[in-house]
Amino acid sequence: MAELHIIGQIIGASGFPQNSLFCKWGVHTGGAWRLLSGLKEGQTQVDNPQTGDMAYWSHPIDLHYATKGLQGWPKIYLQVWHQDSFGRCQLYGYGYCHVPSSPGHHRISCVTWRPLGSWQEQLAQMFVGGGPQLRNPDLIYSGADRYRLHTETMGTVELELGIIMRHFDKYGVES
Amino acid sequence: MTLHPTSSFCLWFQYEVELFQNEAACQTPLDRQYHAEIRAINKAKGRRNQRIFTYTDHDRYTNCFSLHQLHNDLVSATKSSPTFLAERMASVRNRRQERRTMDSSITKSRIINWDPTDEFVKSSHVVNNAMQTMHIMGDLGPPGKLGQKENECLLATIKTDGSGTIIVKPNFNKGREPYRIVTNGEKREVWRLTLENASRVMKPEEREREQIMYKDLYNRHKEYLNSLVGQDFEMPPVGILRYLLHGEIVSANNFEYDNLYINFFMELPNNWSSLPFQSMSGVTQTCRTKSLGKENVAFFSYPFSFEAFYMSEKENEELIPQWPVLYFKVLSLDFWQRYRTEGYGYLLFPAKPGKHTVTCHTWRPVQTGTVSALRRFFIGGSAELEDNSYVRVPGTFKGERLSRFGFCTETTGSVTFRLHCMQQARAFADAALLKKRRQKVVDHLGGFSQQGMVCSILEAYQRAHKRLQEARESLPRDVLNSAAQLQPESSA
Repeated sequence: MAELHIIGQIIGASGFPQNSLFCKWGVHTGGAWRLLSGLKEGQTQVDNPQTGDMAYWSHPIDLHYATKGLQGWPKIYLQVWHQDSFGRCQLYGYGYCHVPSSPGHHRISCVTWRPLGSWQEQLAQMFVGGGPQLRNPDLIYSGADRYRLHTETMGTVELELGIIMRHFDKYGVES
Repeated sequence: MTLHPTSSFCLWFQYEVELFQNEAACQTPLDRQYHAEIRAINKAKGRRNQRIFTYTDHDRYTNCFSLHQLHNDLVSATKSSPTFLAERMASVRNRRQERRTMDSSITKSRIINWDPTDEFVKSSHVVNNAMQTMHIMGDLGPPGKLGQKENECLLATIKTDGSGTIIVKPNFNKGREPYRIVTNGEKREVWRLTLENASRVMKPEEREREQIMYKDLYNRHKEYLNSLVGQDFEMPPVGILRYLLHGEIVSANNFEYDNLYINFFMELPNNWSSLPFQSMSGVTQTCRTKSLGKENVAFFSYPFSFEAFYMSEKENEELIPQWPVLYFKVLSLDFWQRYRTEGYGYLLFPAKPGKHTVTCHTWRPVQTGTVSALRRFFIGGSAELEDNSYVRVPGTFKGERLSRFGFCTETTGSVTFRLHCMQQARAFADAALLKKRRQKVVDHLGGFSQQGMVCSILEAYQRAHKRLQEARESLPRDVLNSAAQLQPESSA
């Protein structure tokens, strides 16, 4: 009967080859967790900065979870996409990070990677865009199947999260 | 209290009555409604208002009125023109009046307004509390000549917004000097105006009832939330510390070759155990690096979770628990399937709960001579550690001094981890309740700990000793005082 509040924002992203980015995000938890209020997934707007490298979204995250156990601590998954001037959307990166488990204000830089195809596919990607995507992103939460992937490094997504924990100390949890 | 521009609150001016009686003059649906109601009143020979009548936002009156009124209210000098903002705010009321009545339940279908009109710009760039206004007017014409539009005069204005704020201008002046209104007509008459707040005060019982209702509502909401959440929470058994680590392998940077992957496994020392399905090792994906500044970084973003249990059985073993270790090695795999070890490192799990960002530096063993370097460059493959735990303290090590003399290594890059650590034990819950000071993890792990009992006895003794000292310190002063008092008394 402990409760967790996650209140924060997805600030923006930087370090990607092109700007005009948007982000699909979500929070994944174990079975013992229950979402009391808030949206646990969403999509930001497309931001195309005029100057500088960082695309800013300032997308709010406001979640209230209740849990019966510590297993399945929430994780945030992000997919950064690029929308070009023709309106096509291209995947620019997957990123995963855990929600912090200590109360307070946290600034997290979640790094991203994207799957890499064969050299023919890479050549085509340079001209036409596109590229391989994960068929089922859920498999990647646990990390067990990751070794099969060949990926390339992409940019970073900045997150700012405030964590409020309630009743955890009553059950002997130190965080 | 909300004011609705309905007929029940609307009193018509004689001029309005004549205007709306004529059906041809009705343009908006509100006009037509007025017309219908006036006809009803005429039919029923109802009482016509004589002197007092009202205007609200929706009537035609406010159009020509607002700007002039605004700056007359605020500034004494009549020559000043209203400020830019005042102009904008005034014309907002304009817009409301001219708009056809729309069904407000239709939600906005377009998010972006590509061609904002001036009206739109004015209303959205400026903050305005949508307020409803009622102007109370008086017909101050000479008796017998009622119903002339020139004789109408503004007596008071009532504004309200949806959240229960009511603004009355001019203020109530019951008991003070009445306001004076001077008419400009054939005769200059002086009228005296008194405004009185005649609304009923809420009785204390009603107020109490309202409070009780609010409290009830909040309680019920709280109970609902509690019922959603439940009362139970999973706890480890008595005397066992549960150690939870959620972390990510964030990145690896400054390694020699490209296409890196990390192979890691965790090791539990004595007294530690873990669940059978807990995976103790992992492999990340193979990641191609990119250059960030002067370094080549590879972003892994590989989350892992780890749960282990610590149980201290014997007291005469070392009192500092040994924490688990994560050993990892970084390898690179080429396009031509050349495989090289890039570095070895280890990470000691943090003892303190919280968020930790750790950067571990790595090294790799080298063999002296050019042959191995050439082999590494052309074919791939290099010397590897047989026992990965050699990075820290080899598992086979017994003795006092670890010597690595003669072992050649080369510094390679670093790997960054982000760890979130949590610890849970029943003893922590009890300690939190009793508010004991925290000393060592071992002490708090259970009731069978002798040392814990000894420590608590010592603490109790110290507290008692302190209290005794304080009592003793305060005592002589009292005794002295009373002794001093006694002496003069006895002499007297």
